[in-house]
Amino acid sequence: MTLDIQSGILRPKIDMHCHVWLMEGWEQSADHLVNSGAMLGITEYWCSSIIQQGILAPIEEVRPHNNTILSAMARHPQRIRGWCFVIPGHFQDAIDEAERCLDAGMIGIKLYNQYRINDPAVHPILELATERRVPILQHAGYPVAEHRASQPLISHGIHFTEASEKYPDAMLIHAHIGGGGDWEHTVREMRDASPNVYIDVSGSNLDDGQVEYAVTELGIGRVLFGTDGTMAGSVGKVLDADLTDDQREHIFFTNAEHILAQQGAAPLHPLDE
Amino acid sequence: MLIDTNAWLGTWPFRSLRDNTPDALIARMDRSGIDKAVVSYIEAAFHRHPQSANERLARDIEPHGHRLIPLGTLNPLSPHWERDLTSCIDLGLKGIRLFPQYHNYPTHGSEIRSAVQACAECDLPVFIPHRLEDARQHHWMDPGHSLDLAHLADLIAAVPDAAIIVSNARPLARSPLWMRGDLRDLNWYVDLSLAEIHYGLHRNTSAMKDLAYLIEEGGANHLLFGTHLPISYAGPALVKLALLPVDNQTRENITHRTAAKLLNLTQG
Repeated sequence: MTLDIQSGILRPKIDMHCHVWLMEGWEQSADHLVNSGAMLGITEYWCSSIIQQGILAPIEEVRPHNNTILSAMARHPQRIRGWCFVIPGHFQDAIDEAERCLDAGMIGIKLYNQYRINDPAVHPILELATERRVPILQHAGYPVAEHRASQPLISHGIHFTEASEKYPDAMLIHAHIGGGGDWEHTVREMRDASPNVYIDVSGSNLDDGQVEYAVTELGIGRVLFGTDGTMAGSVGKVLDADLTDDQREHIFFTNAEHILAQQGAAPLHPLDE
Repeated sequence: MLIDTNAWLGTWPFRSLRDNTPDALIARMDRSGIDKAVVSYIEAAFHRHPQSANERLARDIEPHGHRLIPLGTLNPLSPHWERDLTSCIDLGLKGIRLFPQYHNYPTHGSEIRSAVQACAECDLPVFIPHRLEDARQHHWMDPGHSLDLAHLADLIAAVPDAAIIVSNARPLARSPLWMRGDLRDLNWYVDLSLAEIHYGLHRNTSAMKDLAYLIEEGGANHLLFGTHLPISYAGPALVKLALLPVDNQTRENITHRTAAKLLNLTQG
């Protein structure tokens, strides 16, 4: 059967991994995100603004990132949802920031590479996420050594497995299977993780077989659609993957819907809209 | 008509591939709506003297000549590579692939310039993959770094008569290939396999798009359809093709007319 790219482009999708950055012109950037995704059937965007390169910035520098996301949510209330970025080492300040953002309508917590997901410093965040039934999206991957040097504390599969052993009810999302690194390695490491550990398909690496590998290793209910800047590429890899139409629906939409339901939320635009 | 200018047969040493035989690749092309694809054996990039792989390619795809377009692989460090080039022409190969990062010569040095110049004199297009695999996951035995697009830009300028296809590159609109004004009218091409069109990860508003900028600024004639099958999915390139902001004539150039001209393909 020939791929039906046009129909695939039009089907509704929840992009659970994207960004609006704290920067001059964020409004234009947010508008561009929404307009670009509309061409690909994306109905809502789960966005974060993050501090990269492992920088342990003070909490005063973290809050403006989240305020940008809150502003983007207000600018596009029917399209943009928020991840609250925190640096777990801020301890109570990080908890307070996450509570502030979740109370303001964000739907999850975003962690970057300041700490690994299994670091004890992250435990209070995992406890909060479990209590509030919100997911944690953790920057992750298994790059080779020379590409790991700039982010020595990047998490990979084994760290998710270890974290999920201690917090099996926490919804943990391994970011971008295509984000750069040995994706087979990191997925294999999550074979024995809690069923509440997920992975998203985003990233610029478009290796053939990647999506099917995650589905085979983790199960169809644990693979999410995200783009992280690779919009057409991420749509294309899911459309081209050797999956049933129902499996594609899980990845594009219903798995994210299930995550939202845990906190009593629903997609901004239901599938049958 | 859809011609894939970036496809492969054979074995990638560091990960199992599917659809990497002629029959299987053609079945995958059928599923993807691709009529013809250029191919060479991946392993030729690892052979010090790749001519035997070129000869095997010509034999293996002979029954599939209406679908698969053979490309030879040259190593300009191999003694008498010029004779290999002549043999490739005799075998009916339609273009040449070069792998500076695997055959270990500089992208802007005399060896590659000589090889590209020789191909230009034979009216053969030269295909230079920016990368075969994402360097962030490369196996310790794989030297495969991504090439420097500034060096490739220098090469294009140094051999202005050549047709050079740089596959698997991203991002492109702000790369030296497009930003160097002296290259804009030369015969260099990039494909749709990796670069995004309308949205790119950005930290300032001047970099929100990629290929869309190139097209807006008059660069659509440098685009070709290419997937990187079966190393990468075909779907990303097919989705981008569906979203290209170009008129029908330009779309036809991208899907097949430019490739057919470069490869000296006759109808059928």
